[in-house]
Amino acid sequence: MAIKWFDEATEIFARTTARNTSRRGFLGGLGTVLIGAGAATLLPVYRGSAFAQSASALVEEGDPNSCDYWRYCAIDGFLCGCCGGSTTSCPPGTVRSDITWIGTCHNPADGKDYVISYNDCCGKENCGRCICQRDQGDSPMYRPQSSNDINWCAGSHADMPYHCSLSVVIGVKG
Amino acid sequence: MSARTLSAAAFACLMMIGSSSLLATEQRQFDYMLNCQGCHLPDGSGNPQRQVPAFSGQLGKFLSVPGGRAYLVQVPGSALSGLSDEALAGVLNWMLETFSAAELPSGFKPYTGTELHEWRQVPVPDIEGVRNELLQRIAHQEEQQRKGT
Repeated sequence: MAIKWFDEATEIFARTTARNTSRRGFLGGLGTVLIGAGAATLLPVYRGSAFAQSASALVEEGDPNSCDYWRYCAIDGFLCGCCGGSTTSCPPGTVRSDITWIGTCHNPADGKDYVISYNDCCGKENCGRCICQRDQGDSPMYRPQSSNDINWCAGSHADMPYHCSLSVVIGVKG
Repeated sequence: MSARTLSAAAFACLMMIGSSSLLATEQRQFDYMLNCQGCHLPDGSGNPQRQVPAFSGQLGKFLSVPGGRAYLVQVPGSALSGLSDEALAGVLNWMLETFSAAELPSGFKPYTGTELHEWRQVPVPDIEGVRNELLQRIAHQEEQQRKGT
């Protein structure tokens, strides 16, 4: 047959491969690639200037869509997690206010105090779900930097109707 | 275990240590976050169109004209903040070093709590007028420096 040399070459290649490599070796290599690719993104790069601290390191307990969740100790508004977003991201169709009010909350899971930024999400009418008002450390309006009664959508670059509030961890007390 | 497995295990441990430690925020930055950052933003860029002045490239210039050092203390956001004199001095120094290091005058002396205590007690009725005058002085000084060189 004209392709006999091809059969022979294939056989030699297959036998050499079988002699020189093992199936477990291949599985091991594949495992290294799979885990390595996932682990590379976890490398301890300094992310101090990122807006939100890496959430994976934060130990948290409780339901983020419930008003008694630890991060909401000073919130006054609708929880974005109930409105199509999450505690750290605005629902589609809304914009995060850049200016905001910032407070601290005690995290019972690790006993530390964290700095929380309560950015508003703006651009749609009131969400209306999961209203939450806890007001810890809230000050009257004449101390605007510590007042959560302010609609932070007005006056921000977003400048549109208020929809819901985020609770982003931005620092931790030493 | 082979050396390769061992080093892989050590690498994995290192990564877990690195990712599980949340560094504590420096006290002066902590105070900045709670008292200033809400409007002046994490990078100090503020919102100049809406009367929230930007710090970057600007703040340190006030120290090079007469009255500027007191102004940074007497501006309502500083003077009326809930911070102690020492903490306010710390935040001002941190802001100057962080947002405006290039504009700091040579021989810059950091604020101290005792230094700014008196300034803080004096209410300034027309703080906007003071600001405009200082900005004029800064502009005038920069113009003279341009001519000089």
